[in-house]
Amino acid sequence: MFSGPRGRHVVSCTWEERAALNILVIEDEKKVAQALKKGLEAEEHNVHLSMTGEDGFFRVCAEKFDLVILDLMLPGRDGTEILRTLRQRDVGTPVLVLTARDALEDKILGLDLGADDYMVKPFAFPELSARVRALLRRGRTDQPAKIGLADLEMDLGRRSVVRARRAIPLTAKEFDLLEYLLRNQGHVVTRQMLARDVWKEMLRATPLDNVIDVHIGRLRRKVDDPFATRLIHTVRGVGFILSETPP
Amino acid sequence: MRFRPASVRVRLTLWYTMVLAGIVVALFGAVYLFVRASLVRQLDSEAGAEFLAISQAVAEEPNEIAEMATEMSGRAFRLAGEGVGPYESPAFKAAGLPAIEPGEPAAGQTLTAADGRRFRVRSGPAGHGLLLTVAVPEEPVRGALRTLLVIFVLALPAGLGLAALGGSLMAGRLLRPVAVMAARAEEISAESLSSRLPIEDPSDEFGRLATVFNRMLARLEESFDRLRRFTADASHELRTPLTVIQSVGEVALQEDLDTAAYRDRIGSMLEELNRLSRLVDSLLTLTRADAAAAAVRRTEIDAVRLAARAVEDMRPLAEEKGQDLTLSGGEPVTVQADEGTLRLALVNVLDNAVKYAPAGGTIDVGVRAGNGQVLIEVADNGPGVPAAHVGRIFERFYRVDQSRSGESGGTGLGLAIAKWAVEVNGGRIEYAARDGGGSLFRLVLPVARV
Repeated sequence: MFSGPRGRHVVSCTWEERAALNILVIEDEKKVAQALKKGLEAEEHNVHLSMTGEDGFFRVCAEKFDLVILDLMLPGRDGTEILRTLRQRDVGTPVLVLTARDALEDKILGLDLGADDYMVKPFAFPELSARVRALLRRGRTDQPAKIGLADLEMDLGRRSVVRARRAIPLTAKEFDLLEYLLRNQGHVVTRQMLARDVWKEMLRATPLDNVIDVHIGRLRRKVDDPFATRLIHTVRGVGFILSETPP
Repeated sequence: MRFRPASVRVRLTLWYTMVLAGIVVALFGAVYLFVRASLVRQLDSEAGAEFLAISQAVAEEPNEIAEMATEMSGRAFRLAGEGVGPYESPAFKAAGLPAIEPGEPAAGQTLTAADGRRFRVRSGPAGHGLLLTVAVPEEPVRGALRTLLVIFVLALPAGLGLAALGGSLMAGRLLRPVAVMAARAEEISAESLSSRLPIEDPSDEFGRLATVFNRMLARLEESFDRLRRFTADASHELRTPLTVIQSVGEVALQEDLDTAAYRDRIGSMLEELNRLSRLVDSLLTLTRADAAAAAVRRTEIDAVRLAARAVEDMRPLAEEKGQDLTLSGGEPVTVQADEGTLRLALVNVLDNAVKYAPAGGTIDVGVRAGNGQVLIEVADNGPGVPAAHVGRIFERFYRVDQSRSGESGGTGLGLAIAKWAVEVNGGRIEYAARDGGGSLFRLVLPVARV
């Protein structure tokens, strides 16, 4: 059993990258590009923008990036073509594809072409941010036995949760939900992310929002209500965030 | 290259006229041959009578041939024999007919004279060792046949022309309903789908054709109406969140608010945006039906396990309303389906049941196989669907209670999506009212291929 000073981070599973990472965003839609730039810069990344396929392609070849965010529908040079050429030239930079086409063939195509991940437009920024974190974290296999926030601790091996030294009994779903929130602590998670990652629901049209809200409510009653500090916060219109301070 | 007139009427008339011409020509040919044969036979018997008359005269008065020849100067004959110089009548001589030697066959034969005239010839022994040859001119017979031919050749085009005219008039009369139908069909557009083609006689071919067309028009009209309703509903559903976003944003810009209040306004806008986004997702799922059907990957899955998972997912919602959600069926039931879409269907039906069953009610989910089908049934003890609405509950945006629009986060597309999702899996969805109240939704799926 862990016995440390109250409020100490046990093991932070989220990988907080302090060194500035270079991210290239190839996106012709100005507003989307600017929003991505601002959002990712707020997470302390260096963000470069390319508005055309040609420009983006030459910059990926010429400069060193840690991640490329690539829109598939580009004027001049199509995104799929850029990706194919990059992979043929053995450029291994991770690529996250953005696409407005969510037909299954396109998804498979994107991954077959060597995309590391894809997101269908319109997407929620918190989700993109989570995907970026996941891609940048890739390869690191730190599997901590325990994760936690403030006085909340979760033992992944024993699947038990303790807050302020008091055991909190959770159902399997509630445990998975809390684990996901803990792993993304400090970052907003959307209902869609929860539906896909906790409920394993791939189709967007499946109505799980109400189900998720009910589970969050129950989790709050167990994890937050008996204690002074609230950890699970609702970000109106976006989703939920686990943090010591309200957003 | 084939000649093919555009008009059915012209084609019919041409065919009819050609067949008629063939028949008439064949008939005339037969008549002509028969008449000619009988005329020739008449000529032959004439020659035979002549032969008999002359040979009798020769037999009675063998020494007065020259005298006799003068008497019968209009007749063409020739007498020859051993030691008797050939004697030819003036008519025979004038024609310059070739001599016929004894032994040659000389009955029913035609000889051509030096001047081109044709003669029917009869020759034979006339007693006293004489050979008699009688020639009868064919000219009168040939003239009659020529006249017959001329009459026919002149009458044929006129007759055929009349027949064609009559045929064309008749064809035009028969085909008139088609022209009327075409003219009416020409006028029918999306705006006037309620009009129908005229039917003169429902039992004939054209009448049946018009009936079939009218039925098609009825179906078209119905789907156009559905589309119109859908467009109206969709624009309403899409405009509502847009209006909220616009007005909240505009009002917030005019006000001088603190950060928290602005956040709240933005959050409110994002909520509506999510609603809009979800709506667009659902609509795209429905409208891309064909493309998605190709993307559906059907594998063998256990319907009981799938139902159990959907029930577990939806249980919290039922619990919040104090409803009893149960699943019956234990043995695995294999079904050939795409797990994602089938789950989508069941979750939507369950979501609907939780929404409409009363607080404290019951929802039973049953899975069973039989008759080559797998049935997943969702039964609730809610108010059920009023009979007048049953036919339309699977339509997009259709709500039994129109005032519920937008309430409880529903898009009004749940059952439409369920229907679509079952159908891409080769199944169907049915609604039945339960005895004693409540709804029963039945997902019927083809059983796995063995």
